[in-house]
This record gives sequence, C-alpha cells and structure tokens, in this order.
Amino acid sequence: MTTTPTPAQPPVEVFESGDAALRVVASSPDREANWATVHALAAWLEAAGPDGVQGAVPTYDSLLVEFDPGVTSARQVRAFVQLGLRQLEFTGVPARAPREFSVPVVYGGEYGPDLERVAEQQHLSVEEVIELHTAKSYVIRCLGAPAGSPMMDGPDFPFAVPRLKDPRLSVPAGAVSVAGRQAVIAPAVAPGGWCVIGQTPLTVLDVEAEPLVPYVPGDLLRFHQIPPEEFGTYAGRKLEAAR
Amino acid sequence: MSGSLIIQQPGHSVVTDLGRFRGPRFGLPVNGALDQFSARAANILAANDDNAPLLEVTALDFRMHATADVLIAVTGAPLQLTVGGRECQQWEPVSVKAGETVALRGINGGLRAYIAVHGSVEAPVLLGSCAPDTVVGFGLRLTEGSELKTFKSVQPIRQPYFDLPLFRLGLTRPEYSSTAVVDVTDGPDVDEFGDTADLLYGTEYIVSGRSNHIGLRLGGALPERQSTAEVLSRGVPVGAIEVPSREELLVLHRGRGVTAGYPVLAVVTSRSLDVLAQARPGHKITFRKTTVPEATAKHRAALRELETLRSTVGTVFSLLGIGNEPGWHRLAPAAGS
Repeated sequence: MTTTPTPAQPPVEVFESGDAALRVVASSPDREANWATVHALAAWLEAAGPDGVQGAVPTYDSLLVEFDPGVTSARQVRAFVQLGLRQLEFTGVPARAPREFSVPVVYGGEYGPDLERVAEQQHLSVEEVIELHTAKSYVIRCLGAPAGSPMMDGPDFPFAVPRLKDPRLSVPAGAVSVAGRQAVIAPAVAPGGWCVIGQTPLTVLDVEAEPLVPYVPGDLLRFHQIPPEEFGTYAGRKLEAAR
Repeated sequence: MSGSLIIQQPGHSVVTDLGRFRGPRFGLPVNGALDQFSARAANILAANDDNAPLLEVTALDFRMHATADVLIAVTGAPLQLTVGGRECQQWEPVSVKAGETVALRGINGGLRAYIAVHGSVEAPVLLGSCAPDTVVGFGLRLTEGSELKTFKSVQPIRQPYFDLPLFRLGLTRPEYSSTAVVDVTDGPDVDEFGDTADLLYGTEYIVSGRSNHIGLRLGGALPERQSTAEVLSRGVPVGAIEVPSREELLVLHRGRGVTAGYPVLAVVTSRSLDVLAQARPGHKITFRKTTVPEATAKHRAALRELETLRSTVGTVFSLLGIGNEPGWHRLAPAAGS
C-alpha cells in the first residue's frame, strides 16, 4: 500500500490467501488490542458492505476477509481494509456492553470422558480441575467450527492441555472441552480432538432461529457444576443471557 | 402451473445452491455446489438465476419422474442421460413431459452432476441459502419418494425431425480427466514449511477414498512444517492446503470448518476448486503454482463464458417464448429499429 500508517493506526499485516480471501493479522504487542482491532474491522466491513465482499471471520489476532473474485479483487479488498483501519483510528474501537451466560455442566464420567486424563496431566485432582474451570467468567473471543462454537480463553491451568492423539469421530452437542489455553462448548455433534471434561444439557444451537447461537464475540460465559441427576431437568432448555 | 419431481432412485443427491455466503461469520461453512461452474451453467441453461436451488448428484445413479411438463438441464461429470427412455444431451436444455422419468446413469470421469429445473424447486432456507449443512443437520438430502415442488411448467419442445437434439448452444464443456492439474497460489504460511514446500509441486498425489465435501485427502510426498509453535485458531479459506498429519495432504473444500489452527501451505484457485470437485478416489492430482492476478483472470474468463451462454440461451428461449420472468435478459432491439 502507498498509504503511510499513522502511529495511532492499529498495526496490521495483510496476507494473500488465494484468489477469494485475504488474511489480516493485527500485529501489535498487545493481545487484547489485536483482538479488539480484528473484531472492530470485521464489524466495519459488514456495515460498509463493499461490493463483492462476502463476509469477514475474526478470531483472536486475525481476520479472514472473503470476497467474490468475479466482482472485486484482492487489491481492491486490501484498499477497503486500509480504509476501515483509518476509520477505526478516527472513531476508535466501539465498546459494547457484554452479556453474561451461565452454563450448567455435569463434569466427568460419561459426560466428560477426558476429565481424569486432564487432571493427571495438570498434576491436579479432578475437583481442582472443576474448581479452576468454574472459577471465572470467560470472554467469548470468536465463533469457531463447528457451527458457531464459542471459543474462549481457557481456565488458569498450570499447563497447556494437549489435544487427543486420536480425535473422536463424534462428540455430542453440549460437550464442554479444553485444549491448549482455550475452552469451548460444542453447539452441534461433530468430530473433535479436544479433551471433553463435561457436558451441558442446554441447547446452544437453534437452526430455526437467527442468530443461530445466542452469544457474540465479547460476551461472557461462566460454567457452574450440576450433579448428573439434574441433567434431565434441563431438557429442551436453551442457552440464554442472564443479563 | 406447478408440479413436482418424485425421486425414484436418490443415489447420493441433495438440493443446493451456490452457497451460504453469510455462514462463515457465524462459524458455518459456505457449502453449496462443489463444482460452481457446472452448477451455474445448469441454471443458466434452464433460464434460472445462477444461485437458484438445483440438484447435486454425487457418484451414484439417480432417477426421478416429473408430474408436469418441465424443462431441465444436466451438467457436470459425464454420464448417460435419458428422459422417457430417450438418450439426451448434457449441457443442453432438455424437455421432460409429465410422467416421464429422468435417469442419470454411469457417472464417470468426474464425480458430481447437476440438474437444474426451469423455475427451480422449493427448498428450505437458512441464512439465505438452501445448501445442506451436515454439521448443523440442515438441508434437503433426497430419499426414495422425496417430492420436490416445481414452480413452472414448460410445454414439451420437440425437434420435429428425427428427434435430433433441439439445442446446440456451443458451451465449451470442462474436461474431465483422471490426471488433473490444479492451480494454487502460495498460502499465507508457506514460509513455515521451508524448502519442503516445493514438494507440493514435484509430487503426483492420489485422491483418497476418505475425501468428501469438507475436504479432499491426498496421498503422496508431504511438505513438513518446520516450527512446532501452537497456532491460534483463525479463519481458513476454501481451498486451503494443510498438512495436519504425516499421512495425507488435506485440501479444504466448501464444507470446511471455518476456523482451524493449522498453517496454510497453499490455496487452490476458485477455478481449480471446480476441478477438485470432480476428482474421484484414485485420480491423480498435480499442483501448479500460479499468482492471484492470473487466478482472478481465469475465474473471470470462465464467468464471461457463462455470460455468453446466458445471452445465447436468452435469445433461443425468447424465440420459444420461455422464461420471460423479471431479471431475464430480453432481446435487444435491432440496430436502427
């Protein structure tokens, strides 16, 4: 690009990702700022709706911008991204009051087949793992695969959690998992390589509704433990914001 | 007049369109017709919008019968097409009389065929698209006895002389081969693979039977990632080539999970994704490096070819009095008139 970024403009790098997408990576040393930048840029692109831009997928420090190469081009989309960054510099990153979701979880046993494995690997007791997992609210950082999974910064475990050597072919909807430094709930049945430590009886994904999942990136989510006998009492209930 | 199509032999068939473009921002894959060129061509030949719901038939034989007179077009992989027992041409509009059976048999050379019906068929919609999503369990997967509502009837059009094919619209059909060349551009993480990245261009890969609409798995010499740092999940484009295991190369297609934590070695061009959509297990694939501007130019050339087809179909159908719905290209007035 020929434009010179001003010091206040969020630093980003733009990478080619084929003829129909660009990857934008926020590259400041501040992780929180990077996350805010890519989500604000995604929101700006959605609102501005440049011709041929099909959508933007923001995650942690990166944004995938998808476009129709029959209508626009990587070069034009790159220019839109720069324009968006200048706008954000001018208006600042918009703040939004987060909503909070409370998620009941049955830990261990058939509901969380990897709980003991995780405890062993962390040199903790099963109870301590549950305590750490329920100890705080997590920021939903982005929506991931499969189907709008709430990707969260994980619990304060001593070590990163390794993925399963043999991913499961099928993990049930509502599975509560951890991997690396991340935590997630599976909205739908899907294969998975993360450690499943519990399951929520709440319905997360509703294909009859729009939006399909009730949360957006930036919302907060907190887990609390319920006994296995209560699992059935939640049947048919949907995940809803507490406030 | 509306009627319906009754599925007699579903094989492996769904109702789809060009994809759920609003899906990825919510974590849903784009999905939609894997061979976009063939799907667009079928709809154009049936005088529909490019994005109208149509049938995608994968690998297996398929039969349906029509309860009203309809006009259809079948594109995609080579096959034997019969209507009411008569042999008919693919890549041309075909008239089907009420009660006649449409049969697609012996799909060969490629993997997927498309059936568009003039006026399209009824299908449920999620986020603006009828494309099936296997993860959330949405969409129309056809079974024996499935009934698809059609919206428009077209009087039978028959060539009066010797039943010769009615239309010769002159579209260059894609070539299907068991040894395909696939164009790719460097991926955003190509540097992570060091010198081993070049293996991608010097290797003949074999399509594994475990391939599907989510991704193709290819056996052959594998580039290796040089670093082991954990990658934060990020959006990956359709066409991304990853090396998630030591066994196979993974080429993501339209059913891909939107985010992943594997480095992207290369990305298949939009045009070549259509080629991969037709690759059968056992077929051989070689990759050729290209640039984004070249890939864009090829994609646009294909779209221009489809526009030419649209204008030819428009002329022919206007003369036959078919398809004068809004948005349809009418004949331009003759110069000087």
